[in-house]
Amino acid sequence: MSTSHNNIDLSLEIWRQKNSRTLGDFETYQLQSISTDMSFLEMLDVLNEKLTREGKEPVAFDHDCREGICGTCGAVVNGIAHGPEPETTLCQLHMRHFDSGDTIVIEPFRSRAFPVQKDLIVDRGALDRVIQAGGYVSVNTGGTPDGNAIPIPSPTAELAMDAASCIGCGACVASCPNGSAMLFTGAKISQFSLLPQGQPERKERALAMVKAMDKEGFGNCTNERECEAVCPKGISIRNIARMNREFVKASFF
Amino acid sequence: MWFIDFIRSSIGKKWIMALTGCCLVLFLCSHAAGNATLFVGIPLFQAYADQLHSHPLIISILSKGLSTIFAVHIITGILLTLQNRNARDQKYKVQKRAKTRNNSQAAATMVYSGLFILLFLVLHTSVVSFGDHSIIGETIQNLFSSFFVSIFYIMAFIGLALHLSHGFWSMLQTFGLNHPSYERLINVSTYVLPVFFLLLFGSMPLLFLFGIQN
Repeated sequence: MSTSHNNIDLSLEIWRQKNSRTLGDFETYQLQSISTDMSFLEMLDVLNEKLTREGKEPVAFDHDCREGICGTCGAVVNGIAHGPEPETTLCQLHMRHFDSGDTIVIEPFRSRAFPVQKDLIVDRGALDRVIQAGGYVSVNTGGTPDGNAIPIPSPTAELAMDAASCIGCGACVASCPNGSAMLFTGAKISQFSLLPQGQPERKERALAMVKAMDKEGFGNCTNERECEAVCPKGISIRNIARMNREFVKASFF
Repeated sequence: MWFIDFIRSSIGKKWIMALTGCCLVLFLCSHAAGNATLFVGIPLFQAYADQLHSHPLIISILSKGLSTIFAVHIITGILLTLQNRNARDQKYKVQKRAKTRNNSQAAATMVYSGLFILLFLVLHTSVVSFGDHSIIGETIQNLFSSFFVSIFYIMAFIGLALHLSHGFWSMLQTFGLNHPSYERLINVSTYVLPVFFLLLFGSMPLLFLFGIQN
């Protein structure tokens, strides 16, 4: 169990917003004796228990697996999406990275395409619509297809898996100075275009996904690499370069 | 229309920036090569200018083409900047750069370095390019003998170097050229190219300022 040595006192400045139609503002909260073994979301749980006991509205935030694999959680912590640790989702960020007396500013992911629903919860449906534009597969009944029936070179499979590790959390959009979703879309287009199974609809997919992305009102990439730096899965901007190639190939050839 | 769809898309606009940027870098190369005659002396520079202007058709085509390329680059750049600002309606209270190792300052100030270069361009072309070509050597001599004009030129060249230090790499990324096998070459050349232009163009006013060339 943690001792008082490992406990820290914090001052939190959190964005509070009743719903998508009202204006929000920052509220300041004091938390004492937070164990450094806690995750960031557990720290917020403690705050919410305290607020509930005081008869106040708890802070709404998105979370699900709390294992860093689902992409549900996320907020901008002291100006950096998912907080200061690289390749870490908010749920996997631990309080040992903060010092006693710190002020932590917690804001929702901000983008015109991500309207705030309540407090730290934003609607990331725009990303779902981009992936939907990429098409779907029909899973027919019958025997399970043999996993290795189609040969795929190992480096290609690795590149596709690297792209597919995107959990769609939206931190790339939140951190981009232009609110661009090109890392997300680049990763999704890459994961399909690299694999043989994705070839039949390769061109239509690139065109449709970029079109859907533009329609949502995301900004345009200016190659500042902020997305890559905050991505909890460390997805490389090479995927954006690949998307650029795929889109041009699909448009011109 | 597939072409209209392409240039109206986000990636299409990035391609316009990259293609026009590429043309402008090529123009800079030819401009630098021609102006290098200044290092030999004013008479050779004047002879180069006279030779160039003895082909009015080439001058006319190149200058109109160049103006169009500049205009497209500037207008698309401003359009993209406005669109990008609009993509985030509510600003962050605290916004930090997560990445410090890349050239983020140059990236974040592209529109400002670009507008500064535009200001330089307006002044430079109105005095030099649209001035009297038969005495262009003299014009340059007079301009660069002034301390403030020389400093302004050098500042513009620094702005250009800053712009290119992000622009060159960014152009290749937009073209889809990002691969481990030549990443190092691109990373190095995105600094070598602007420094080369800065040294070459920057030394021209310095030559006159320190009276080495007159």
